Amino acid sequence: MIAPKTITVRIDGKRCEGALGQTILEIATANQIYIPTLCYLKNLSAWGGCRMCIVETDGSPKAVPACSTPAMDGSTVATNSERLQHLRRMTLELLFSERNHICPICPMNHGDCELQNQGYRHGLDSVRFPYLYPILPVDLTGKYFGLDHNRCILCTRCVRTCDEIEGVHTLDISNRGEKNRVVVDLNTTFGESDTCTLCGACVAACPTGALFDKAAAFRGKLNACRVVRTTCTECPVGCGLLVFTTENRIVEIFGDTESPVNNGHLCVRGRYQTWAEPRNRIQRPMLRRDGKLQPVTWDEALKVIKDATRQVSDWQKALLISPRVTNETVKALKQVGAHCDRVGLFVAKNEVAFCGSLDFAPEAMQRLEDADGIIVLGAQPSRDNGIIAAKIRRAVRKRGAKLLIFHARKSDLDAWADVAANVVSLERSFWKRVTDVLKEVRRPVLVYGPGAMTPIGITVFERLIGVFEKKRSGSAPHLVPLPITTNSAALSKAGVEPLEDIAAWLDVQPLNLLHIIASDEPDGGARMLDERHVRTLLEQIDCVVLQASYESPLMALAKVVLPSAIWCEKSGTVTSFEGRELKIEAVLPPGGEARDDKVILEALSA
Amino acid sequence: MSDKPKIKVATAWLGGCSGCHMSFLDLDERLIDLVKLVEFTASPITDVKEIPEVDVGIIEGAVCNEDHEHVLRTMRVRCKVLIALGDCAVTGNIPALRNQFVLDEVLARGFLETESTQIGEIPGIYDGDDDVPKLLNRVRPIHEIVKVDAFIPGCPPDADTIWYALTELLAGRAPQWSEGNLRYD
Repeated sequence: MIAPKTITVRIDGKRCEGALGQTILEIATANQIYIPTLCYLKNLSAWGGCRMCIVETDGSPKAVPACSTPAMDGSTVATNSERLQHLRRMTLELLFSERNHICPICPMNHGDCELQNQGYRHGLDSVRFPYLYPILPVDLTGKYFGLDHNRCILCTRCVRTCDEIEGVHTLDISNRGEKNRVVVDLNTTFGESDTCTLCGACVAACPTGALFDKAAAFRGKLNACRVVRTTCTECPVGCGLLVFTTENRIVEIFGDTESPVNNGHLCVRGRYQTWAEPRNRIQRPMLRRDGKLQPVTWDEALKVIKDATRQVSDWQKALLISPRVTNETVKALKQVGAHCDRVGLFVAKNEVAFCGSLDFAPEAMQRLEDADGIIVLGAQPSRDNGIIAAKIRRAVRKRGAKLLIFHARKSDLDAWADVAANVVSLERSFWKRVTDVLKEVRRPVLVYGPGAMTPIGITVFERLIGVFEKKRSGSAPHLVPLPITTNSAALSKAGVEPLEDIAAWLDVQPLNLLHIIASDEPDGGARMLDERHVRTLLEQIDCVVLQASYESPLMALAKVVLPSAIWCEKSGTVTSFEGRELKIEAVLPPGGEARDDKVILEALSA
Repeated sequence: MSDKPKIKVATAWLGGCSGCHMSFLDLDERLIDLVKLVEFTASPITDVKEIPEVDVGIIEGAVCNEDHEHVLRTMRVRCKVLIALGDCAVTGNIPALRNQFVLDEVLARGFLETESTQIGEIPGIYDGDDDVPKLLNRVRPIHEIVKVDAFIPGCPPDADTIWYALTELLAGRAPQWSEGNLRYD
């Protein structure tokens, strides 16, 4: 690739270098020259709608928007003349008078609002134009966020984010002139939208309080919060998080723009599900006495477990671990020697064969970014890994990549797919179509999940490989195995046996003691009860120790319950599907008397 | 005491919560310095029926009813310098929220439909019923009705902000607003 030509621009008297094609704003920002902006947001297409970034340049008698004007070699630019300040001030006055910007009752008040900050910066003490006081609705039907049109400045950052980052284009602008309005789908509400994925990227992009997180509103000002950089542990993708906290509570969570995995974008699981929903925590250790679970001290609880461990032979006790625990928890298990010899990992359906043969897919996110053909087999990214779904939508919609989906369950991605096979056909005509679609594909990526390990999944896999083998051009597909559970791949590589059938594993030997580490599984580990016979088998065990963060039906079967710290209360590492070892930071002190899984294991073997 | 004549100041409280006057009282010991320079005439806590001719008028609150408009216009005539104090006077702020509704609905909600109302009556809607001033259709900031010479935004502007603005004005300078001292909340 030829490096673009270097150009020189004189901005406010400073000699600035940049590349041909860069905008005035990009060059100015790179040279530490501030130009005020509102509708501009890095990583989005330039809009040039708010006119805050106007500058004077010697090519034009008019002031031009710096965000969307390419810099010209040898030109001179003024960013802060009296005329520009006057025009920007007027722009702000028009914005403030257009809708009902009543700062004292806005959750973004106190320095989190870009419009307010620009008002301050420009010394705007009053608005000369009559306020329009339009009658505007507030949409509070959304599950996690609301849309208050009164505070909207029509910068379209939400619209562009929804289209260009999440790739669903739920939001757009309707009508003209003063009737201009952000609309959800075809003028419906967030609650009724069938395209919104609840990723909340629009809220993160909104410069004012027009789009706001319900759970974060009036909980604290972000610019005074403590910000901790950590990793989302909801799925194996491993997105970077910025967790905003004050007074030991989470105010809001945003994606980490510096994370190479997600570049600041998040899906609903990382953005909201971990904190914006009520979940019942197990607060303290409990022991079953007279048929009822009663609170006890940690020492008492640990003593009961230790005594029980000592009383039974090795083959009568077992440890069942959730694939959400950190690598350090399993390391601790190795180092201190487990109090149980048999250790199993309760992974998701079909994940065992997957874990056994799994290689990490380094640079998978980058490959998806470059792919011109994506095949999804036996995985459900729009349900499980929203970030990958967003990447796929972008690839299809923005770059015209081919998309083939082989999965029994329907998803929103099917609408974008060239082939969406919910029922896989073995007919010749079907495979001819697949071959035709893949014909021109040069850089294919095959994302496959545990569903690919079923007999039908394997058949499709083999046929696909066959299609590529016959193809004359393009490379073989880059294989991206995508597990469902967070850390199952690394944990099984570390030697913990993933369990295909929990019931069979429990039934090998009648157990006297079973220690379940459900950790912060949102359902408290209760999904194992969905498997046949598991409940009956658990009922037969004398002593079930449940170590979990959230209340669940499993508690009814437990003799001892230990409160486990959740994702934001412990530190350690998890390994993503790309093989990245990602750091988890303790953001908050443990809730109630909860302790880190690792610490509990160490205490048990002491 | 200097022989220099004191600057006469009148303050008025229109459609607002009086928080700006409270914030004014937050000047605390600085009030002592202030009264060396100025003389307070009419204010919401003085029983003065007619606003006298003064040098500086300070207005808190938005224009919500006919009385507000009357007071404001009178102040404009009788004050050499008129200052809008606080967001309600500067932007309409909270009182202007009712501009989203038709006036009749607002009155009905307030006087007839509240959860505690048993037999409600909207005051001042009959001709000749002058007990309470009639509400205007729209709440407006004061500078939409009369010329205003200086603005002190804030809900309320804190005492330091008021002190800064007043001392600048007393020194014959217009307050310079910037990121450091400007607040809309």
